[in-house]
Amino acid sequence: MLVYLVKRLIVSIVVLLGIALGTFLMIHLIPGDPAKIQLGVHATPEAVAHLHKEWGLDKSLPQQFWIYLGNIVTFDFGQSTAFNSGVSELVGDRVTPTAVVLIYGILISLVIGVPLAIWAALRQGGWIDNAIRVTTTFTFAMPPFWLGLMLALLLGYKLGWFPVSGYETGISGILRTCTLPALTVGLGLLVIVVRNLRANLVTVLHSDYIEAARARGYSELRVVSKHAMRNSIVGLITILASLFGFIVGLLVLVESVFRIPGAGTLLVQAVSKRDYQLVQTLVFLSGAFVVIIGFLADFAYAWLDPRIRLAGRS
Amino acid sequence: MRKLLLIGTMGALLALLVSACGGSSGGGGSISVAQEGEGKPTAASEICEEEPVVGGNLTYARQLEVVTLNPREIKNGNGDIFADEMLYSGLVRNDPDGSAKVVPALAEKWDVSKDGLTYTFTLKPGIKYSDGSPITAEDIAWNMEQFADPETNVSLPSLGEGIKKISAPDKSTVVVELEYPVAAFLYNIAVFPAFVVPKDKVEAEGDAFWKHPVSSGPFVMKEFASGSHITFEKNPNYFEKGKPYVQTMRWNFVPNSNTRVLELKSGQANLADGIPFNQVESLQGESGVTIQQVEFPQEAMLILNNKVKALGDVHVRRAISLAINREQLNEAVFRGTGTVPNSVIQKFELDASDQEVPPFEFNVGKAKEEMAKSKFANGFSVSMKYPAGFDYYKQLSLLLQAELKEIGVNVKLEEEEAATIAEQWLEGEFEMTFPFAGTSSDIPVPDEYASLFALPEAELDGFKSFWTNDEAKKLVQKFISNTDEATRKPEWKVIQELFNEEMPSLNVMDYPLINGHESNICGTKANGLGVDQLQETWVGKASS
Repeated sequence: MLVYLVKRLIVSIVVLLGIALGTFLMIHLIPGDPAKIQLGVHATPEAVAHLHKEWGLDKSLPQQFWIYLGNIVTFDFGQSTAFNSGVSELVGDRVTPTAVVLIYGILISLVIGVPLAIWAALRQGGWIDNAIRVTTTFTFAMPPFWLGLMLALLLGYKLGWFPVSGYETGISGILRTCTLPALTVGLGLLVIVVRNLRANLVTVLHSDYIEAARARGYSELRVVSKHAMRNSIVGLITILASLFGFIVGLLVLVESVFRIPGAGTLLVQAVSKRDYQLVQTLVFLSGAFVVIIGFLADFAYAWLDPRIRLAGRS
Repeated sequence: MRKLLLIGTMGALLALLVSACGGSSGGGGSISVAQEGEGKPTAASEICEEEPVVGGNLTYARQLEVVTLNPREIKNGNGDIFADEMLYSGLVRNDPDGSAKVVPALAEKWDVSKDGLTYTFTLKPGIKYSDGSPITAEDIAWNMEQFADPETNVSLPSLGEGIKKISAPDKSTVVVELEYPVAAFLYNIAVFPAFVVPKDKVEAEGDAFWKHPVSSGPFVMKEFASGSHITFEKNPNYFEKGKPYVQTMRWNFVPNSNTRVLELKSGQANLADGIPFNQVESLQGESGVTIQQVEFPQEAMLILNNKVKALGDVHVRRAISLAINREQLNEAVFRGTGTVPNSVIQKFELDASDQEVPPFEFNVGKAKEEMAKSKFANGFSVSMKYPAGFDYYKQLSLLLQAELKEIGVNVKLEEEEAATIAEQWLEGEFEMTFPFAGTSSDIPVPDEYASLFALPEAELDGFKSFWTNDEAKKLVQKFISNTDEATRKPEWKVIQELFNEEMPSLNVMDYPLINGHESNICGTKANGLGVDQLQETWVGKASS
């Protein structure tokens, strides 16, 4: 088990380095100079050179990359050029609202999706199964931007159940302001949860050990929740982790519509203003997050499924 | 039970779809809106005829966020500038009623020497910062030095050029000596880089000062949450007694235009700016909401790269302008809120009127004649870039493409992201481009943009049109140093006509800012640069 985990750790570090290099190259090589963007029509060569010097952009690309790597290792992510503060401070402030909407959104997709998936799997091939699959594809196909606006219009403006936008902290604040954005995220992810879980369940429910459990007289509920789910749920975690990029995209749109001061909006603004430090930090941290989730998922697999643990021994 | 659940779900989803189609889709037809920025506050209802109500809170949904409160190091354009205008004051300011006059602020009067080189300002008595400390002549002199120094005035160093010496001979006098006469000097110091802050606190606290600045303006910053909102409180020591009327103000940063409109409609915000043109009609239909059209020097500027052979030919440039049906564009894209221009640069009070210098004509016959006179009578192909993310620019560009085809100019449209398009404009890597969504002047007189186009010392290659004209250069150099008010207007008329003749680039449309507010919000004014004068605004008693 230890060998398996160490191997995974080394791979993770290599992936992280690749992410760092990839992001650095991409943001530096696209056209657009942050100094010229800030100065606009007043971007005389002297003014531009002045800002370049202040921001360390007069150094060579390899030098800048080394400084960037050094920053990551010391957790000092430098100064934002587009905003008036340090990158760490900025990211720290903005990550919480995004995380809140993300977790709440995933919870909603699970709370709605898991029962639907079980229902569909148990009635496989029937019209319930088909109806569930069609409806969830429908919510997935709705552009999140539009879906969010419709929810704001209907549940916020017309019915007045929630504010149309904004973000407040505290339990009641979050329930009040983050339900609509989380619902948008949740409905967008619903199809992934339902289809993936349903497919896994259908496979698992036909296995011998499930038959054996039923033969022992266990209730259908126990059979499904205790025995079938355990084998089916890990696949779901992997899928969600691998779709993190898609989820970030979803979050950016939702944050825009509902005016959530989150990291998604920050990333878009940072790219528009070519704020290299901020973009590199945000993308690197997202990448690191996915890698860590992947690593934890591997750990969970090894723990949940003895077959993987044993196979990992070289 | 299962059937009910399914029907319920489908029903809910259908309801969502139907509500989407419910809103009116704007057709053509011009709209009548209250004209702002020209001296008349909105009088949408009798509520506003009453005496101003003191107290209360204003919530404003703003499209641009505030990034920094240091007026000499602006990071987000109008997002920062509009906040600075609430927190600070300068010696003078642009008329809050919207004219192009400069009126007193911290200075109560001033004298200009005959040679136009010395300005002597007399300060209002008893002026104080929000923390109670006095605003002294020495303090103001220090701020003016910061304004004149391009190392500290990173935002608009060109406005601070020409200042030779600043002094404070006594407690209530500030004297500024110039190296050469600058006709727009008072306008230059009326804007944000010349705002006044306490020298001792800025020097003592450095960057930390700007997180909690001491105010010389109508409001004090109370709380600033980056990316979310900023809240203000009335400054009890503001130099205009009795103002601002409201006690507190909260600006929410709402970059999404649909969300801004929803917030206004639902009452979550009292005011909202940047109302999209295609939503104006639907908002006008709402009772309780008033639309405010803010006129200020802004245009849709299409830069023609004169280095491209065809565009270097003045007959081609004139032909392109003649082929554009600006009236129709105004109706289709700007819903009638724009004005057909009679000047290559933005519209200013100093401009010659439409009777003296006619607005740009639409005449396909004449356009074809001009093309025939050029070396490109058989037409040519050219690319046109426009910024992504603005549906009205997309519409505008498509219409222009269709119109230019009529005279044999085949336009290839290229949509680019805003930062890329601005960079390519600065590098001259374009044939025709809209470098910005809306190009606006920083001062309410043509000096800035005339210089940017005609003077080599602006280092902007004719606003990157790479157009040069010796006569224009001489006329503009004379114009910007002519401090005689009486002769400035006729001098400008000559330059305006010359620019129109030469057509270095195209002014497609002069267009305003569209803001919206609840009908019981009164005193909504903007100055000549489109800046909201929220110290004049009050919350009227809502009608039942």
